Amino acid sequence: MLELLGNALLTVLHWKYLLPLFAGTFAGVVGGALPGVTITMTIIVLLPFTYGLDPLAGLAAMTGVYVGGSAGGLITACLLGIPGTPSAIATTFDGFPMARKGQPGRAVWLGVWSSFFGGLVGGLFLILVTGPLAAIALAFGPWEYFSLFILAMAMVAGLAESSLIKSLISTAIGLLITIIGTDPIGAVPRFTFGSAFIGGGFPFLPVLIGIFAFAQIMGDIEKMRQPSAAGEAAVKRPSLSVAHLKVIGEILARPFLFLWSVLVGILIGVLPAIGGSAASVLAYDQAKKISRTPELFGTGHPEGVIASEASNNANVGGSLVTIMAFGIPGDAVTAVMLGAMTIHGIQSGPLFVSQNPGLAYGIYAAYILAHLLMVVIIWSSTFFVLRLTSVRLAVLAPIVLVLCVIGAYALNNTMDSVYVLLIFGVFGYALVKAGFPLAPLILGLILGDQIEVNLIRAVMSDANPWLFLTRPISGGLLIAAALSVVLAVWQHLRHQKRTAGEDEADF
Amino acid sequence: MRLGRDGIAGLIGLAVSLSLLPQAFGLPKLPIVPVGPGFYPVIVLVFLAVTSAVLVVQDVVAQRQAAERAGREEAPAASGRAYGLVGGAFVVVGAYVGLLPYLGYRIATTLFVAAFQLLLERPSTLRQWIIFAVIAFGTTAVTYVLFEQYLSVLLPRGRWTDW
Repeated sequence: MLELLGNALLTVLHWKYLLPLFAGTFAGVVGGALPGVTITMTIIVLLPFTYGLDPLAGLAAMTGVYVGGSAGGLITACLLGIPGTPSAIATTFDGFPMARKGQPGRAVWLGVWSSFFGGLVGGLFLILVTGPLAAIALAFGPWEYFSLFILAMAMVAGLAESSLIKSLISTAIGLLITIIGTDPIGAVPRFTFGSAFIGGGFPFLPVLIGIFAFAQIMGDIEKMRQPSAAGEAAVKRPSLSVAHLKVIGEILARPFLFLWSVLVGILIGVLPAIGGSAASVLAYDQAKKISRTPELFGTGHPEGVIASEASNNANVGGSLVTIMAFGIPGDAVTAVMLGAMTIHGIQSGPLFVSQNPGLAYGIYAAYILAHLLMVVIIWSSTFFVLRLTSVRLAVLAPIVLVLCVIGAYALNNTMDSVYVLLIFGVFGYALVKAGFPLAPLILGLILGDQIEVNLIRAVMSDANPWLFLTRPISGGLLIAAALSVVLAVWQHLRHQKRTAGEDEADF
Repeated sequence: MRLGRDGIAGLIGLAVSLSLLPQAFGLPKLPIVPVGPGFYPVIVLVFLAVTSAVLVVQDVVAQRQAAERAGREEAPAASGRAYGLVGGAFVVVGAYVGLLPYLGYRIATTLFVAAFQLLLERPSTLRQWIIFAVIAFGTTAVTYVLFEQYLSVLLPRGRWTDW
């Protein structure tokens, strides 16, 4: 394993891979720092640049975006009080007050070094656990895979912030999109209405890009006439000089807090389709609960910054485990990575590591090196990144949209994919305006084909439907899925009860 | 019975699923597969129909409760969101996508970036106009050179312009 990793590190250090990795990490830091531009958006924008690259170079660039983006959000979170990405929301709670107390360098670097060490521990988990988990996944039959996908969708639907029923409808819409076109077993056309345009079904990436990019850009345009905190925040140039060893010492002097936050990040990352925002907020909450000084949280407490940043970068490692061992995206970013892998003809899943060791260890190496690059980039260009946050939406939006169009067109050099992009752009925006969460739809879209294939394979192997419940792993996963939905319903009812109580009290 | 946004969305979901269900049932059976190509779509469509129906019911109940509360609470303030701009943005993007195969990447993209900038923020000073032009031409030039020369992506040529 160490030899493979060593070779992979040497490979990725070659300029052919190092350059895309650097570019990806830089784009990630910038995208992460720009309020309103998420890591998903950054990776979508970067996607067309990876088509012409070697698979490892493309995946290295995407890994760089993921790592850089997870850390980049802390720059604006600490210095402007505006989280650049949702995964930096919890960093704002203590990073910004610390900066306002005259310690901006300490705030930023506590976050950067926590991200660095948290990410590296997450990387250790990624390297050590992916292989054994893939071996377990190899023992899975179609029943287990079907049940695992159902669990993933149930968890995402249950965790969505809006109503459970809307999340379930969103999941169903995602699944329905995958049904359109030819069926995966017998190639029978379904719901195509004789149209050649949808005869082969909707290509995954243009749908994903359309739904995500348009929903986000149009959402930002909507708010253009509202007073913007980002616009009002002056980009000042405070001194970020700091004694790095002292800051690192501050982190390492809290080993339990650090490791607990990392563990939370990894576990949230491993769970399908739950992103870094949940990880950082949960880790922050946990840190407050276990702290000896919980009253200091929110006032510029270093523990708050350490917990949030260590967990959101460790989350990246966890998400990569899920995609590499099971072929299930941990979140929207890994969903795009999965799509990019498919474009290059790489099948993600339990056989990925054993069949593509060079590529798998290349991703590990890129992940580790991206953390070093992230530190260098933030050290050298924090103020440049801050200046970029003042780029106007009128400039940013058309450039992003052009790159989205290229990303869709370059998939197979036809305008059909661009039309799909536009159709789903409008559709995605309409869904968001109607209050439907997009994460369950995306997961349904990603897993739809696999769910159907595994369901049919299971039925073809043995028509007894009870096998889904009586096979131990499959049954366990389905029970977990049911519990996830029940828990979501219970939380929803409890929330409604509390709200009703508050209403009555107000009245 | 009044329906809100959720109720209308639920009705659309219900209509889509119910209109597609007969097609799913009518899909031909395959000799080698015991369940046929309609088996899975039926499950998904029934799931969509049931959840959509629940959303409609939830909305009807919520609307009734809201009607009961009406008068006790003040109407929500106007959101102040620029929906007109969003509509305009969709029109500009739609025109770009529509004209791309006719004008070609270079002309269509320059026009698109310029139009989109004008829609969102009209330049007022000479410096802003220069930046506006640099962004419109620069975006096209940089992406064209990068993708065509270095990333082997052949961008669309125009049927009308042959460029």
